[in-house]
Amino acid sequence: RVAMEASELWVGFVGAGRMAGGLVRGLLQAGKVPASNILASAPSDKNLDAWRELGCRTTHCNLEVVHRSTLVFLATKPHILPGVLEELRPAVGPHHIVVSLVAGVTIQTLQRLLPPWTKVLRIMPNLPCVVQAGAMVFSRGSNAGDEEATLLKSLLSSCGLCEEVPESYIDIHTGLSGSGVAYVYLFAEALAEGAVKMGMPGALASRIAAQTLLGAAKMLLETGEHPAKLRGDVCTPGGTTIYALHQLEKGALRATVMDAVEAATNRACDMAKD
Amino acid sequence: MSVGFIGAGQLAFALARGFTAAGVLAAHKITASSPDTDLPTVSGLRKMGVNFTVSNKDTVKSSDVLFLAVKPPIIPFILDEVGPDIEARHIVVSCAAGVTISSIEKKLSTFCPTPKVIRCMTNTPVIVREGATVYATGTHADVEDGKLLEQLMASVGFCTEVEEDLIDAVTGLSGSGPAYAFTALDALADGGVKMGLPRRLAVRLGAQALLGAAKMLLESEQHPGQLKDNVCSPGGATIHALHFLESGGFRSLLINAVEASCIRTRELQHLADQEKISPAAIKKTLLDKVKLESPSLSVASASKVSLFTNKSKKN
Repeated sequence: RVAMEASELWVGFVGAGRMAGGLVRGLLQAGKVPASNILASAPSDKNLDAWRELGCRTTHCNLEVVHRSTLVFLATKPHILPGVLEELRPAVGPHHIVVSLVAGVTIQTLQRLLPPWTKVLRIMPNLPCVVQAGAMVFSRGSNAGDEEATLLKSLLSSCGLCEEVPESYIDIHTGLSGSGVAYVYLFAEALAEGAVKMGMPGALASRIAAQTLLGAAKMLLETGEHPAKLRGDVCTPGGTTIYALHQLEKGALRATVMDAVEAATNRACDMAKD
Repeated sequence: MSVGFIGAGQLAFALARGFTAAGVLAAHKITASSPDTDLPTVSGLRKMGVNFTVSNKDTVKSSDVLFLAVKPPIIPFILDEVGPDIEARHIVVSCAAGVTISSIEKKLSTFCPTPKVIRCMTNTPVIVREGATVYATGTHADVEDGKLLEQLMASVGFCTEVEEDLIDAVTGLSGSGPAYAFTALDALADGGVKMGLPRRLAVRLGAQALLGAAKMLLESEQHPGQLKDNVCSPGGATIHALHFLESGGFRSLLINAVEASCIRTRELQHLADQEKISPAAIKKTLLDKVKLESPSLSVASASKVSLFTNKSKKN
């Protein structure tokens, strides 16, 4: 086994869409991998322009990515992947580390479509990887060992939170954080709308709403305190906050959010079966 | 020290039972009075060894600490009746929901220039010495008077001093609280029975679960949210159940309940201040009996009317 210094690592992306773009920006921001060591392929130039602007190399040939990279990220749409893997299979060797970002495709499927000794990992990121505040979970296939897991984690921690999990958690992560980002956008929109109703201009309200979410999340992450405790800390007796929280409880917000996570998780499971 | 209760209903009974069980007071040092000797609690008090009388004045005379343990609308009549017998040594403790210290002091000041008044809000579990009590001291009650009451009430549960303006909120929370708990326990038992448990066992287990949870919370530094999390294994039974509670708006129902009780207490107080509670709202026989004993309300009558001639056929 060759010791892998991140700076000597050749990283490839098969597929250059939004999620892949988020990851590569994180990698580059962290300065772990030089842009010139990164090669991405996509059928058209539409996405690839942005990658070239970052200093990465691009191609229309998936096989070239596999030939020239050690760490290969699979970032195609789910229905395209089987065909792509059939194309790439002959070129995949024991030195490769294949990391799939493809939603709903299990490790079992990946291992079936690739040579039997391939080191496979599966990762589920979320969109804020683009701004290095992502939440990612990954799982190992049978041939991926501690070294590969450590490498992946150290590379991707630059994009946000990156944790190894059993594969069964990946769909839950989708429901919680993959889709979860959208729940937060919805909440932010509603907060701002409430402020607009009470007389604040929309643009200002939106910025404040976003900052409020950011600040609260930061406090959660940095203090490590239970959210219920932090909530209590904000509630002065008989004050504005407790009045507002009562409204949220009346609307069964908690249960609705739980329903949402459940629905997205179940849908992810169903889609994986297809 | 001797303690008296004006009123011999649930509250007097609960407190007397609690004090005697705690050993802070011997039963014979307690006097309770009520014109209505038919109350079920009266025989209970007698069995305890408490001195029972139909004369509120006797209770006042034989007590150092005097609890007003009657329903709020009755308080003004009681104060009129026993006012003349209140001395500077007495500590008058009102347990009546929504009745302010100032309204009591105002009534008593016509008889006694510096009445010691303390307002308290307790709850029925004093009967098993797990009460929740708060008190606020009036204008002429000293720190020692408050401490004396606190000692008494601490023998039957938790007791702390508060600002008077918080007492209505306390009423909503821990005053009414045991009723919320009984309702919850009844329903939990139903759940147990539905799933196959015998009723008695279901009740016992439900009560123990709540008791244990409350004890854990009181002894823990942790937030109840954290304690809840500790019970919820991922994908397990408890989190599934909690989801149902959240869907039903469990939390908001409890918030609503505390709020409603507190608001209603304030309403009643407001009505009382404006003297808007109609006599019809007060049980008629009780009012008549109280009026008969009250000199300030007496109609010209040569002799004192004995209550016994007005009693109903019972007993």
